[in-house]
Amino acid sequence: MRNALALGRRSILLALAAAAAAAAAVAGCGGDGRTPLVVYSPHGRDLLTVVEQAYEAARPDVDVRWLDMGSQEVYDRIRSERANPQADVWFGGPATILARGAAEGLLAPSEPSWAGVLDAADRHPEGLYYTLYQTPTIIVYNRDAISADEAPADWDDLLDERWHDEVVIRDPLASGTMRTIFGKILADSVVETGSTEAGFAWLRRLDGQTREYVHSPAVLHEKLTRQEGVLTLWEMTDTLSLIDRGAPVAYRFPASGTAVIQDSVGVVAGSEHPGEAEAFLDWLGSPEALALAVREAFRLPARGDLDAEELAPWVADVQSRLRRAEVDWQMIEENGSEWMAEWDRAVRGQGGG
Amino acid sequence: MPWLVLAFLVWLVGYPLLVVAAEAFGIGGPDADGPTTEAFRSFFTRADEWNAMWRTLWISVLSTLAAAAVGVPLGFLFERNEIPGRRLLGALVALPVALPPLVGVIAFLFLYGESGLAARGLQTVGLDVSWRLTGAWAILLVHAYSMYVYFYLFTRAGLSGQDGAAIEAAQSLGASRSQILFRVTLPRLRPAMAGATLLTFMTSLGSFSAPYIFGGGFRVMTTQIVASKLNGELRMAYVETTMLALLAFGSLLLLRRIDPGLDLASGARGTPPARRRLQTQRARVAAATGGWVLAGVLLLPHATLILMSLVPPNTWTVEAFPPVLGLVNYGDLLSSAERLRPALNSLWMAAAATLAAIVVGVAAARLSLRRGGLPGRALEAMMTLPWAIPGTVFALALAAAMSVNAPWVGRFVLVGTLWILPLAYLVRSLPLTGRSIFAGMRQLDPRLEEAAASLGAGALRTVVQIVLPLLRPAVIAGAGLAFITMLGDFVTSIVLYTYDTRPISIEIQSSLRIQETGIAAAYGVLLMVLSAAAFIAWDDRSGGRL
Repeated sequence: MRNALALGRRSILLALAAAAAAAAAVAGCGGDGRTPLVVYSPHGRDLLTVVEQAYEAARPDVDVRWLDMGSQEVYDRIRSERANPQADVWFGGPATILARGAAEGLLAPSEPSWAGVLDAADRHPEGLYYTLYQTPTIIVYNRDAISADEAPADWDDLLDERWHDEVVIRDPLASGTMRTIFGKILADSVVETGSTEAGFAWLRRLDGQTREYVHSPAVLHEKLTRQEGVLTLWEMTDTLSLIDRGAPVAYRFPASGTAVIQDSVGVVAGSEHPGEAEAFLDWLGSPEALALAVREAFRLPARGDLDAEELAPWVADVQSRLRRAEVDWQMIEENGSEWMAEWDRAVRGQGGG
Repeated sequence: MPWLVLAFLVWLVGYPLLVVAAEAFGIGGPDADGPTTEAFRSFFTRADEWNAMWRTLWISVLSTLAAAAVGVPLGFLFERNEIPGRRLLGALVALPVALPPLVGVIAFLFLYGESGLAARGLQTVGLDVSWRLTGAWAILLVHAYSMYVYFYLFTRAGLSGQDGAAIEAAQSLGASRSQILFRVTLPRLRPAMAGATLLTFMTSLGSFSAPYIFGGGFRVMTTQIVASKLNGELRMAYVETTMLALLAFGSLLLLRRIDPGLDLASGARGTPPARRRLQTQRARVAAATGGWVLAGVLLLPHATLILMSLVPPNTWTVEAFPPVLGLVNYGDLLSSAERLRPALNSLWMAAAATLAAIVVGVAAARLSLRRGGLPGRALEAMMTLPWAIPGTVFALALAAAMSVNAPWVGRFVLVGTLWILPLAYLVRSLPLTGRSIFAGMRQLDPRLEEAAASLGAGALRTVVQIVLPLLRPAVIAGAGLAFITMLGDFVTSIVLYTYDTRPISIEIQSSLRIQETGIAAAYGVLLMVLSAAAFIAWDDRSGGRL
């Protein structure tokens, strides 16, 4: 391949230097005078794009920059950057994960105007985070492959022999949703039997049913749509978006009751623009922004003072069908990491069958 | 002066590793709780940790064997036989090197994944087949594919450096072809084989993209580290990091022992033996056809990537072949500043790191060779060291060391800044540029510099006007390789990126996450083209010598 390209000798080094200088210049002057507001969020493109556009329209002087990742990854990043925080807003993830962040000093107090209308359970006592949306955990299935009467009615039905190798699951380590579902099973086990043993035995059986753990919600959707796995444990808002886009999936609230994730938001400690971050929080919880989230991304608002029927017919429908399960959130918050580490080393891939 | 450069290198390369090891023992850092071996004890009692260590080791051994099994015969085929189209085919076969790790992995996913092109194609023609690209064999497949190139290139370089006279002598003494192969050719190929083995083994020991995407519950050390960190068990992640570093150093020492010396250029210099001409027309046609089919198979991942980049969003669901093709994704990529930024970020960071690595490399080589002695050897060692450190290990070590503000012990807060990622790239570039610069510098006649000095040129002028021009081929060879590697880096980037420095590989990952497959593929093609151009330029300058 000698002389395959007639590149001048000096030109390569010069090109390197020029590339470095030019790219650095362009990359460096990314700012356009607007205040950058960096948001770490697991909410996914749909909601984040809507939020970005609407907020920038309302506040032309702010540039919303989001990075989308798993809820646990948000925690990991913010903690890694503790010495030099890069994010302004921690937007989304179960309260159990934000609680850990709060305990480690990763969140700063804020007081959005809508804080007062929330239930006490949806507010951190020192205002470090607030629940913005409620996210029911559900059973999702491919409706071309499984009819509504055949679909598992409760978590236990997933262990049925006929679903062997048919369950596909979002990798639970990175996902707040999966951590919550698994956490509830283990917390229930402690409440009922005094130890996690029964819970882990259950999860081991689920592992035996599991075809694959996938890396992102997108891959999960894709697999379900293509019937590479026809069942999963997941959350409602994402599933409603999927159904809205025409995917052949349907869902069920588990008969034994639904754990509802308190999807929360907070200001990152050490944020460069705490005022802007708080203003953003304030907007996120406003009736307009919540109506937008309901309409465009099927989020279920946490604040109870909004008229469900007015927000959207589906909100009223969901609220009428949803039966909340008792969940010991405190226990999940305190033991979640240890449980997931234990699951990762002793359960994952070892369900056999 | 040598001590200053040495101190800089020790601070940048060695110190973060010491910090991470110390923090694994609970010494220093934000969570320090006194010297404790608790985390290590728990590491040694946990079956999953041993499993991850053991799997890392055997995956690396098998990857090396598989890569050798593909690469060595190919090297012989193209170096020793006159096949129609030999030059072009020989170059095409090396092109897996143009797929950066993450890009290669996603290309495999699109092609051989559960719902990849291959499976869909077979199902369309009525074959009821299905498979899953997961676990150990998927990792091995990707490793073999991306790493046989090392064996292939080393074999060719080794063979082309052999003296045909030795073979002729053996022939005239009545040796059979197999005797010549086993007693003459192969023994002389040993340095090349040792070099390729070392490179392949160390690369798969630190491999992250393939186990990250395909591994699932099958953990190797790199993915185990990332999982521990993700779960918030930072202390355990540091212990695993330390253990992987020890495993890497141990392997390096062991392999060095087997290795008689890596200097490929040395040995008998003569005319390589004449290539074997295929006698019959039929044999020539068969060889050419076989060669093209082989090249076609080896280039399928590249083709798949290009195809996927042409699929507009949401147009391909259940069909065997994408129903619509177009340039929408490229338009999208080029028209929006936000989309273009990761490409620019990668370019400037890779270029800056490469340039800095050249500067450090030239300074270290000059000082080391002039000064000699202990500082000289230490300088060379510090330049080579990063090569043995898996990317995950170094990224975590740098993040740990540079997230504390304690200037008096050499620790600054660099986490979250624009500088930490280029700095990590610099360290990973050092051995690549350093190796060729040291080699080039050794061949320089010291009298040239003396002449310049006696004519009144200062040190700077001597370097710029005499040394650098003479070193140009060596510099370009090393810089090209460093530039390609850093352009496609994923393993260090995933730990250290910020919003402002997110490189192409991170953008590929997040595009995949939000189901923008076409955009991810378009970024992949961009990386592939840049890497191929850099590789061709490098190959052109260095004559393919590693």
